[in-house]
Amino acid sequence: MALLAVLFAFGMLTACGSDDSSSSSSSEASSSSSEASSSSETEEADSGPETKAAFIMVAPIGDAGWNYAHDVGRQYAEEMTGVETAYVDAVPEGTADFGNYVRDFIDQGYNVIIGTSFGYMDDMLALADEYPDVVFEHVSGYKMNETNFGNTFGRMYEPRYLSGMVAGSATTSGLIGYVAAFPIPEVIRGINAFTLGVQAINPDAEVEVIWTSTWFDPAVEGDSAQALLDKGADVIAMHQDSTAAGEKAEAAGARWVSYNTDMSEFAPEAFLTAPVWNWGPRYVQIIEAAQAGTYAPSAYWGSMAEGIVDLAPIASDVDQGVVDQVMEAKAAIIAGDLHPFTGPINDQDGNEVLAAGEVMDDGAMLGMMFFVEGVIGSTG
Amino acid sequence: MRRPRLSLREQPLPGGQPLAFGTGLLIALIVGILLLLAAGHEPLKIYSRMFEASLGDPDAWAKTINRAIPLGLAGLAVAIAGSMGLWNIGAEGQIMAGAIAAAWVARIGGDWPGIILIAMMLIAAVGGGGVLALGPALARAKLGVNEIITTLMLNEVAIRLVQWLIHGPWKDPDSYNFPLAPMLPDQARLPTLFSRAHFGLLIAAAVIVIASVAVRYTAWGYELRIAGSSEATARYSGISLSKKILTVLVLSGAVAGLAGGVELSGTADRLTETISNGFGFAGIIVAALALMRPSGVAVVALLFGAVQIGGQSIQTLGVSSSVSTILQAFVLFGAIGAGVFSRYRVVLDADTRSSNKELSDD
Repeated sequence: MALLAVLFAFGMLTACGSDDSSSSSSSEASSSSSEASSSSETEEADSGPETKAAFIMVAPIGDAGWNYAHDVGRQYAEEMTGVETAYVDAVPEGTADFGNYVRDFIDQGYNVIIGTSFGYMDDMLALADEYPDVVFEHVSGYKMNETNFGNTFGRMYEPRYLSGMVAGSATTSGLIGYVAAFPIPEVIRGINAFTLGVQAINPDAEVEVIWTSTWFDPAVEGDSAQALLDKGADVIAMHQDSTAAGEKAEAAGARWVSYNTDMSEFAPEAFLTAPVWNWGPRYVQIIEAAQAGTYAPSAYWGSMAEGIVDLAPIASDVDQGVVDQVMEAKAAIIAGDLHPFTGPINDQDGNEVLAAGEVMDDGAMLGMMFFVEGVIGSTG
Repeated sequence: MRRPRLSLREQPLPGGQPLAFGTGLLIALIVGILLLLAAGHEPLKIYSRMFEASLGDPDAWAKTINRAIPLGLAGLAVAIAGSMGLWNIGAEGQIMAGAIAAAWVARIGGDWPGIILIAMMLIAAVGGGGVLALGPALARAKLGVNEIITTLMLNEVAIRLVQWLIHGPWKDPDSYNFPLAPMLPDQARLPTLFSRAHFGLLIAAAVIVIASVAVRYTAWGYELRIAGSSEATARYSGISLSKKILTVLVLSGAVAGLAGGVELSGTADRLTETISNGFGFAGIIVAALALMRPSGVAVVALLFGAVQIGGQSIQTLGVSSSVSTILQAFVLFGAIGAGVFSRYRVVLDADTRSSNKELSDD
């Protein structure tokens, strides 16, 4: 008990100490860089509740991938709206931690909570019910309520298709490796879109998939890429959060299509291009709606035309003719003239799943659990 | 050549463990101030938040208690084995095994009354953890296979098992193929005591009390401690070592399994691969801080829980997760270090044998 007493005493001491400093501005919103703390300019004298947005992420933002992309979006939103933002990262799914963080933020006056990992979904649904005055937005899930809980995602299959075109032009062995996290519709849809893009340039090339069962594990991602390289793949694509696959491709003299962000600096020789996330503008929308009191939950599935997904710059050694073709396809997708999932599309076993000329509807894409012809691997 | 060595003090330092913990804590907090200043934060503001979020009001206490429950049970599991000089590094996996067993009961007993369902879940959890520890226990008892390695390796097996269940047979048919187990039925949740602190507090407290009494005041516990301090003495007094090893390791696994069942029923919505959340490994630190004494586990777990909850909370002030983790480590190692120095002293000795008992790590 004595040690609790010590802890308690120390707590009292620091609690008193903090009274002296509480008049200083709360400029701690961002630890990552000073440029993001425009919040320090926000005066506390505002009447009415101030809007503050908190982001909760599943892995360290230093991953250069998924979480980093969200943090870039957070900083953009802070700059554009002048709203104070904060984040916590490395918050595991399915534990009490998520709820603890959310309540901590809400206690400190945060009234927009953005969770960027799928497994937060049910916790967010319950918390949204508990805190009706707080806006909850969930990235990558499918649940929502009618008042204060919506979800956001992007049509990543559009730039995936374009990145496949670049990869198709770069392979000479005709085998492209794909290091992928989990066999869920989102990932499978990406693999299929990528493969259709590959075939648009290189009809005979095949895409071989290895499942890692992890979103972020550099060692496993690297080993999986190596296994594919050893099998003869000369281009590696991925649905992972680290740069490990690219480093293996670089070492093997192969090429690499990264994901989430432009990761060219991690493997400058290997890097071809990447389908990337651009969360900032969407976060601005959500925060501004919350600020204006007009937030209405929706199932937002943004497209390349809306800017939430994009294609990173293409490596300079890619043939200009290919670049032109990719840019043409990009313009057509943005204009609505080209849809990556347009028939005829056959599954792996050669059965027709989409007749010639037909465009796949959102429902079929969201539940996609088959591989298209040309993919080597199993969805199970 | 004179080398530093730890030697057991004949008399522990005055004030004993509590004073040592307090001193270590203070030193750690002072070092932490330097760390926070270096990272560009206001130490007093951060510490005050740490305290308020973990012990500042009933809601904060509830968070700390809910954290301390699995930490305490996992720490107890390690300490039970540690009382006999055995190392159970597999509590992490045993927690998962317990959670799997409890989740299985919740699957088949979805329409049972709550009290029966929860009781059966917890009994199954105890069994699940015990079963996972059975292999290492048998291997150590009968063949002398090092239990550190076997228990550690089974952690990996347990997490793969959870992953397989979530991705395969137990995947929720309504989850759009996302790897999620179905939610637990409502009556499978432990009731809350106050704020969000759940009933697991009483379960953990009861188990810790029973284990402390058993280890300290029963003949069984006496034999256990004899065997832990000297195998030769234990053999000489006719204690059956292999039987003891077997029961102690299985019991240790069972207690960790219970932690998994309580965590599933108390705080989680469903079985997830993060259900053990590092509690099994943290339990090793809890047990070490409690000097492998079951009776010390409760207080240490509460302190550890408070440090973790406080450490998480300061991340909402912009302290990065790495700085927060380093700060938590300072606090814990400050307390451990001081605990060690209150019982041991550093001596510089020549290459001669000392009659003092050494701090051995075997």
